[in-house]
Amino acid sequence: MFFRMIRGTLLRQWKKMLMIGFTIALGTSLAVAMLSVMLDVGDKVNQELKTYGANITVVPKEASVISDLYELEGGESSGAYLREDELGKIKTIFWAFNIVDFAPFVNAQATLPDGSEVTAVGIWFNHHMELPTGEQLDAGVVSMRSWWEIKSGSWIDEQNGDENTAMVGSVLAEREGISAGDTITLTGSSGSVSVKVAGIFDAGGDEDEQIFMPLNTAQALSGLDGKIDSIEVSALTTPDNELAERAAKDPGSLTVSQYETWYCTAYVSSICYQIQEVITDSVASAVRQVADSEGEILEKTKLLMLLITILSLIGAALGICNLVTASVMERSSEMGLMKAIGAQSGEVTGLVLTEIFITAVIGGAVGFFAGFGFAQIIGHTVFGAAVSLSPMVIPISAVLVVLVTLAGSIPAIRMLLRLQPAEVLHGR
Amino acid sequence: MSLLELKNVYKIYGQLHALDNVSMKVEKGEWVSIMGPSGSGKSTMMNIIGCMDKPSQGEVLLDGEDISKKDAKSLTTIRRDKIGLIFQQFHLVNYLTAVENVMLAQYYHSLPDEKEAMEALERVGLADRAKHLPSQLSGGEQQRVCVARALINHPEIILADEPTGNLDEANEKIVVDLFHKLHNEGTTLIVVTHDPEVAQVAQRMVVLRSGKLSKEVVNEHFTGEISYAD
Amino acid sequence: MDNSNIKSSPAAAQDTKKSGGSARTKMFLRMITASLIIRRSRMLAALMSIAIGATILSGLVTIYYDVPRQMGAQFRSYGANMILTGADGAFTQEDMDFALSQLGSAEVVGAAPYRYDNVRINESPVVAAGTDMQQASAASPYWSIEGELPASSGQIMVGAKIADSFRLKEGGYVTVTYTPELETEDGEVTADELMDFEITAILQTGGSEENYVYMSTEDIEALTGETDRIDVAELSISAGSGELSGFADKINSGSDAVSARLVKRVTASETTVLTKLQALVLLVTIVVLALTMICVATTMTAVVAERRREIGLRKAIGASDQSIIKEFMGESILLGLLGGILGSVLGFVFAQEVSVRVFSSSISFRPLLVPITVLVSIAVTGLSSLFPIKSATEVDPALVLKGE
Repeated sequence: MFFRMIRGTLLRQWKKMLMIGFTIALGTSLAVAMLSVMLDVGDKVNQELKTYGANITVVPKEASVISDLYELEGGESSGAYLREDELGKIKTIFWAFNIVDFAPFVNAQATLPDGSEVTAVGIWFNHHMELPTGEQLDAGVVSMRSWWEIKSGSWIDEQNGDENTAMVGSVLAEREGISAGDTITLTGSSGSVSVKVAGIFDAGGDEDEQIFMPLNTAQALSGLDGKIDSIEVSALTTPDNELAERAAKDPGSLTVSQYETWYCTAYVSSICYQIQEVITDSVASAVRQVADSEGEILEKTKLLMLLITILSLIGAALGICNLVTASVMERSSEMGLMKAIGAQSGEVTGLVLTEIFITAVIGGAVGFFAGFGFAQIIGHTVFGAAVSLSPMVIPISAVLVVLVTLAGSIPAIRMLLRLQPAEVLHGR
Repeated sequence: MSLLELKNVYKIYGQLHALDNVSMKVEKGEWVSIMGPSGSGKSTMMNIIGCMDKPSQGEVLLDGEDISKKDAKSLTTIRRDKIGLIFQQFHLVNYLTAVENVMLAQYYHSLPDEKEAMEALERVGLADRAKHLPSQLSGGEQQRVCVARALINHPEIILADEPTGNLDEANEKIVVDLFHKLHNEGTTLIVVTHDPEVAQVAQRMVVLRSGKLSKEVVNEHFTGEISYAD
Repeated sequence: MDNSNIKSSPAAAQDTKKSGGSARTKMFLRMITASLIIRRSRMLAALMSIAIGATILSGLVTIYYDVPRQMGAQFRSYGANMILTGADGAFTQEDMDFALSQLGSAEVVGAAPYRYDNVRINESPVVAAGTDMQQASAASPYWSIEGELPASSGQIMVGAKIADSFRLKEGGYVTVTYTPELETEDGEVTADELMDFEITAILQTGGSEENYVYMSTEDIEALTGETDRIDVAELSISAGSGELSGFADKINSGSDAVSARLVKRVTASETTVLTKLQALVLLVTIVVLALTMICVATTMTAVVAERRREIGLRKAIGASDQSIIKEFMGESILLGLLGGILGSVLGFVFAQEVSVRVFSSSISFRPLLVPITVLVSIAVTGLSSLFPIKSATEVDPALVLKGE
């Protein structure tokens, strides 16, 4: 009979129940959409902030101090290099998944035919590599120099094969009268190469005076086969906290459990540490300009979204609460009647609550999917990527719906039960 | 021992004495009507007998048990077990069918039994309308569903509040005939009404005026049939 | 609530023909306010939901408009977004002042002039940068400075790599040697200049800054004997990239001595990220608003549906459909008005709270938003109650009164 009555309400009063269900669905979808976006916004914005380029640089241990100093004198390198064949190992560290991109750099001094000195930089543009793990990967500066403005020509496409190409900085190109499509001959310390200029770029910095070319070409110029000067790494990181700062200074000062926590969190310092572990004789350090600012902006964005989420959750909660109260109040005469023909308060409460909860579950389920849909729309429109569903969203929104529905119905039911059935039935 | 006995019952709302020292008895199997103009205390009396309200003073004995001091929960239980209610405005649950509305009373009393509920509807002549919703029934039919609902748990007393107030003459006759049938089967009937024609059918008529019992008339020519003056 | 029994009869209305209009208005107002006051708790609930809707509207829109400004300020932590260089080599303080004067009212977060000179520490060559310390750290907020920024003459900040290789520590002393041009005009060899500095800070950036030592402009002028020379100036300006390139053009066309360039890496990336963030807030605002408005609408529908019996009663005592719609709409509009005003206030409070908490700066009040919020909430409440009221007036009053 209990179920017959509930069926009666749900099937024959479906219009009223639909409205409650609809409101609950709306509220839930709002909650789910906001929670999903909020929980994912960190990752998404972090990805966006990658446009600022590398947040970690890796240099040889000895070079880290001395090379820059000597360079001031004669521009000769110190003789300390990293090994090109180890580059793939960066993708094998504990936080490999967080390494978005990386590129090796090798600097070579070269002379143009007219005798002027230029710095030729060998890099990866969009280098394809196969990792020992069987994974395939494209890495290079194309995404790490997203602010480069290509004045003419285009980016070098390494996968197209031709190694003897180069990209020339706009300042240098203007001074030397180089334009895209030209072929220039560069002479380095151990040979000379003729490269075709694929494009002219404006980087808004020192790079505008340099020539960029595939790694092997620059290595051949200066006889540095298999050697590289530095690596720039772009990694998704967690903003530093006190532990990370302490660890960055000296990982040895941590207790075992602190060390575990640090090592297994994507702090920029722990990723640096892990890179040093796999690249022989290297020093990896955070580029503070990028790493710190990232942390700052991420934190602010998350907080902003959190507060907006809280506001919309309150809005959703009040909306549901109101409607549930209204729908319970509407049934006052029915509840009075049930009491008059002998129902105890508990039985009436149970009945009404069950009905509302069945509606809430259906509405909540619909709302959940709708909300997830909204989150996807936001994700695709803003970030061009799907918003991932955090498992946390399900329990949070379920608890929210249950609490809100209870909060909306129980006070109303209690109030109605306090009324004398006679009063309700006589229409007062 | 009388089935129902009111001893010096008062119901006072502030200054207003809705019931003022009312005493009366109803015997088992009796058919009593309570009459009076509006404001005479009829509804208050009905609420008290129907265990939906408590007197301010005095005793109400139902089956020898004083119900005037019980709490709301035990009043609900007593009402469920001993009293069948019929209302002027029918008060059927509008999303349940006729038979389900009857079963609702069974449900709160003990166990719903569709067969028994159908039998009750048969008694009021509505077996063929059992699957209809209240909105698909006429006023008379709705009231007969109420009667079936009141009967279903074999109550000691059937308490009807203006049962014919919303009905036309034809339906009024059907309902009164139904009461007659119930009376013949031995059911105790208390009918609150301000319609003298309905009131006069009963064996005994009690008239309330300003909360006081003003007059009691015993129907010496009791037939149980309604007769109209003109 | 049934106030209709107080309604003046047509006869009475005729008697007081002059004041009849105002009496009717008074009655109308009385009816709609009485309903609001007497059905207090239900109306309060409805009002609350309208106010929440209006709060979300005004709050989110305020935030939406403020995000670029507030976030833009955060992006200044990436450091300088404009670089001044001499058209040919160095430039002077006067040129820099001119450049700064071209920036109009834009907020300059930091403007640091730099000059670089080759000096030696322990006979090893080192680059010394002379700058305005306060401005430098303001323009480059990402500098991680261990110790105190040099504040007075004789104090120096050392890059972490230099500190590492020369084993320099905060609180220690270092002697900086400057060798002037080996030959002066008359061919004499000049002696080295020596100066002792107290190391007050170690600088960590993860970049090339770690290879320099930093001292005040006065000190480097004293050490080298050369004054009023700036090699490069870093400016950090709170402005969008469009505005910035406008400034750069103005500076470049206004002065021959100094040329301004945007730091593409910072400005281009800032534009990308900020655009996305603003789009995010916009979409979120739209979704939240749409859902909230529907919520408000369903609440209003429920509130009106609850009163079908009352509508039936009014019809029964002779009210025309039109007057019922007018009265109920009057009530809804009053609710919308109150809710809208309340929401405007709460929305501003919310936006202010967000701004203070997230960006630790206050928000500017947008007066235009108040009438917009009020109008929108009146429109939403009005429209959402219009349909249920209309459908309620179509019901036969007898049916409603019989107690369905």
